[in-house]
Amino acid sequence: MSKRRFSLSEKQLGYAMVAPSLILIAVIVLWPIMLSFWNSLFDYRLNDPSLSQRTLGSEINMERYADNYDFVNKTIEEILAESSAEEVTNEVETIQQGINERHNTFLSEGDHEEKFNEVLETVRSHYAVKDQSLKYVSIDESFKKDYSTYLTEQSESLASLSSEQEGAMATRLSDLSGQIKLMDSSFMKENFVGFGNYAQYLQESRLWQSIGVTTLFTVVSVFFELVLGLAIALLINRAFFGRGAVRASVLVPWAIPTAVSAMIWKFLYDGQSGVVAHYFEQLGIIQDAGQLLTTSAGAIFSIIFTDVWKTTPYMALLLLAGLQTIPHQLYESAQVDGANAWNRFYKITLPMLRSTILVALLFRTLDAFRVFDLIYVLTGGGPANATEAVSVYAYKVLFAQQNFGAGSALSVIVFICVAIISTLFIRFIGSDLMAGKQKG
Amino acid sequence: MQRKAGPWFYLFLIVFVFLVMFPFLWIFLTSIKPLGDIFGSPFAWFGSGISFQSYESALTTRPLLRYMLNSFIVSGATTILAIGCAAFTAYAVTRLPIRFKSVILGVVLASSMFPPIAIISPIYDFVTDFGLRNTYPGLVIPYITISLPLAIWILATFFQNIPYSLEESAKLDGATPFQTFRKIILPLAAPGVFTTAILVFIAAWNEYLFALTINTKDAMKTVPVGISLYQSQYSIPWGDITAATVLVTIPIVIIVLIFQRRIVAGLTSGSVKG
Amino acid sequence: MKKRPIRQGILSGIMVSLLLVAGCSSDEAAGDSDEVTLVYARGVDTTEGNAKLIEAFEEEHPNINIKYREMPSDSGQQHDQYVTTLSGRSAEIDVFDADVVWPAEFAQAGYVMGLDRFIEEDNIDMNKYFEGTVDSVTFNGRTWAMPKFTDAGLLYYRSDIVDEPPETWDELSEMAGNLKGEAGTNFGYVMQANQYEGIVVNAIEFIHAYGGEVINDVGEVVVDNPEAIEGIRKMTEIAQSDYVPNNILNFTELETETAFIQGNTVFARNWPYMQASSANEDKSQVAGDVGFSLLPKGDEQSASTLGGWVTMINKYTEHPEAAWEFVKFMTGKEGQKISATVGGTAPTIKSLYDNEAVKEASPVFANEAFVETLQNAVPRPVTPNYPKITDIIQIEISKALAGDVSPEQAAQNMQREIENVVNE
Repeated sequence: MSKRRFSLSEKQLGYAMVAPSLILIAVIVLWPIMLSFWNSLFDYRLNDPSLSQRTLGSEINMERYADNYDFVNKTIEEILAESSAEEVTNEVETIQQGINERHNTFLSEGDHEEKFNEVLETVRSHYAVKDQSLKYVSIDESFKKDYSTYLTEQSESLASLSSEQEGAMATRLSDLSGQIKLMDSSFMKENFVGFGNYAQYLQESRLWQSIGVTTLFTVVSVFFELVLGLAIALLINRAFFGRGAVRASVLVPWAIPTAVSAMIWKFLYDGQSGVVAHYFEQLGIIQDAGQLLTTSAGAIFSIIFTDVWKTTPYMALLLLAGLQTIPHQLYESAQVDGANAWNRFYKITLPMLRSTILVALLFRTLDAFRVFDLIYVLTGGGPANATEAVSVYAYKVLFAQQNFGAGSALSVIVFICVAIISTLFIRFIGSDLMAGKQKG
Repeated sequence: MQRKAGPWFYLFLIVFVFLVMFPFLWIFLTSIKPLGDIFGSPFAWFGSGISFQSYESALTTRPLLRYMLNSFIVSGATTILAIGCAAFTAYAVTRLPIRFKSVILGVVLASSMFPPIAIISPIYDFVTDFGLRNTYPGLVIPYITISLPLAIWILATFFQNIPYSLEESAKLDGATPFQTFRKIILPLAAPGVFTTAILVFIAAWNEYLFALTINTKDAMKTVPVGISLYQSQYSIPWGDITAATVLVTIPIVIIVLIFQRRIVAGLTSGSVKG
Repeated sequence: MKKRPIRQGILSGIMVSLLLVAGCSSDEAAGDSDEVTLVYARGVDTTEGNAKLIEAFEEEHPNINIKYREMPSDSGQQHDQYVTTLSGRSAEIDVFDADVVWPAEFAQAGYVMGLDRFIEEDNIDMNKYFEGTVDSVTFNGRTWAMPKFTDAGLLYYRSDIVDEPPETWDELSEMAGNLKGEAGTNFGYVMQANQYEGIVVNAIEFIHAYGGEVINDVGEVVVDNPEAIEGIRKMTEIAQSDYVPNNILNFTELETETAFIQGNTVFARNWPYMQASSANEDKSQVAGDVGFSLLPKGDEQSASTLGGWVTMINKYTEHPEAAWEFVKFMTGKEGQKISATVGGTAPTIKSLYDNEAVKEASPVFANEAFVETLQNAVPRPVTPNYPKITDIIQIEISKALAGDVSPEQAAQNMQREIENVVNE
């Protein structure tokens, strides 16, 4: 029976079938969360070469070092050739000597010289160093400190010397000062800051404002979606002609990309050619059409209104499905007992819908709290940051400022908020959510 | 409770559907106005004629069809792969005697709650390091994972509703568990699988944050990102934008029209995610 | 029993589909070494300038092909796209145009190639460029970009309504208020007040016009002083007046131009490019009725913010030499002349303003006062932290214009927050 060998037992098969999903989730969701947290403990910036790696040890960016060492040397030669002032010549000569001493010490260690020459040749021929092991070289911590301090000091003293000189010489000296600064920035900074990023953000008003905006958006839009959705569900919970068409039309706003609907509404809200803004003005809801996207209140109203438009129909559908599972007999016997409509709603509908409502609320709340597309496209967080949700703020820090350390701290903060919300909800509805999914 | 629908009810219904559909209607009407009317008389319902100028320029100023192709490939690949993984997992969790089921379901559920912004930066690093920026796999891999929880959750509900008796008799006939899955469960759950596939497809089609950061090259952008960057330098091209919006909305509207019953079934059975 | 290993089948299916998908997208394999294709990115160009420029270059260098990649026109969005692309160390773009405020940041980040070696090898004389534009591409003693075209704000007015343009901001307020409504206009004045880079440009003009500064020569933050506050107050007064559109806080250059060429406004602040578009009879309803002058004076002077674009080379380009040839051509005399005459952009090379063809291309270029404005345009701070600083200014000025904070408060907030950034 050769097939025996190839067929797994039920249990083994079970684990084998679960494995791919769990591995993917672990690699693409759980691991990144931990990395985000790890990143958030560093002052880690992609756009600052001395901070662009998470380093616990001490390293030097050989590419930057070699490139700028080359220029420092050249500029020093030029200054020495041109200068007639003794104070300049003396100081620059001392610096030349100081740098060369340290440079030679640096090269004498390990394979540094070999690597340095290779890198120098690459940068001189205008190419970038792509080999990471060539680019980042580890060096002795105390030597790095000494070298770096020396360069910082020389750069500063050259800057002040430059301000005393005039004309071309002043430019040359300030160039040299800048080039030494660049050379200095090739020493990778140890950038572990612990909870420093968090400490900084917790004191910052922009973060609290963005959490406030997100919360306001979440609470108000989910509330309206639920109330309106329930009202609509109750109203259309009956047999009528054209159910399919209504259902389809209701699904369309939910199904099209949020970014696309944000673009649509951006047009409808536009102060000059937006028809919704125009009608709102005529109805007296706003004083003038320009207010919707240019004032804080108007912009917050706009994003909430759009979200309610997009999601209420969907909410109504979910609740309608719940309503249809309530047995008719309950209502009939209540009617016999003389309960009025309100009583029936309160005593039968609501309790029977409880779990549907709670599950819908949980997922809507989480979704609303993570809001990004809608705000990023519709208002970009403006005006005056009035609509900047936490996710939008985190995105700006991460990708516009390329600050992966601080940005990760923000994204971990979003994660913690979401975790708190879900814990609270699951406390209430844990049993409803998992019911029936794990038998067998 | 089932009441009869009267004329007032239909009036309400018409108003409701009109309000829901109004933005699309308006966008469509704007897209066929001659350019001059869009700015000249923005609040008139109909322009001074019908013009396809906006469509022409929407298709020529930006590679709109390419965006749609990209979205289609990415969402299609995501759907196939995600459904494959999810069907296995859902089957194992609902039918096979494995341990830690609630832990597994808990992890799956929890991972659906993770805000994408919290994982975007490591994934960005990861995708960059593997040279997957501006490629389809660069988006497909994160998308599969994001849609897995949704798919597993809904599929589990469908598998749950398949009677055990069929499986028992297959077992008696000597089928291995995997054969049972493939020959009995999958065909029976086909409607459920299909429903899930539609939802996963729509979710992938709509994703914005990852698409915005990972595929920055114009030829690799997806529809949502492409549309949101539809601007030109010297005018506000509302004509182009409305035309492009109409074009990219059509596929979704068709899918929704054809499959609305299934979508609703999927949404309400899983009650997961909006 | 057919014993097809199903799992293996599925697995290989997954692999195949991933490979297929990967295959579709890797179209940028290294080409053959004689013919080089460069990808050049810049914002949308509605003029013929860019196409002509590329054409002329390709003619001169038959072995270099230029593939133009269009970027979003919004400079903030463009910036974010470049940054995400470049920080991925990818070579998908070789050469790109950058806003004049980006070089320090991109240089510090190590995204772009230092151009000094090329400049030295080819003996390029940087003194032929306007000093301000050279300063903006120089950071820490090295050159990171080449100035491509320069810009300075101008005051446009309707010459059929206005006889003599206003000299001071106070006069402008008065005239805008009185003349609004004449000849079918709806507004007196429009400027850029949306929360983006443009609001910073406008704010700096007001602040300098009244004698203030944001960061002084020695790098100190000095925005919280009476002169700067006066400038912010004037800007706020204008933004809240009844002669600007109700959605002035949404105005970028796009809205400004639309409002002006459709005859909706009497005055407008915009860059020189609008001279060409407002004179274009196909597009503009005010062609022939357009005048321009220097921006009005504050208590101190007339100030115009230095704008314009520079060209940089991606450090990770596969073809540095070809990329440099292209940059050298575009930013050299010949290239800039094409941009000026066809695209209507203001050259950064001083001597081009003596060139007859350039002078004829636009009345702006022939105007001596304008050339002087270019010489003295106020640069924005050259610092790698510029994105953070501009963010702070955008937010605070936006709040002030919306009336959420007073000009004093805005200045105080800016002072505090910019100091934090500078001292970081």
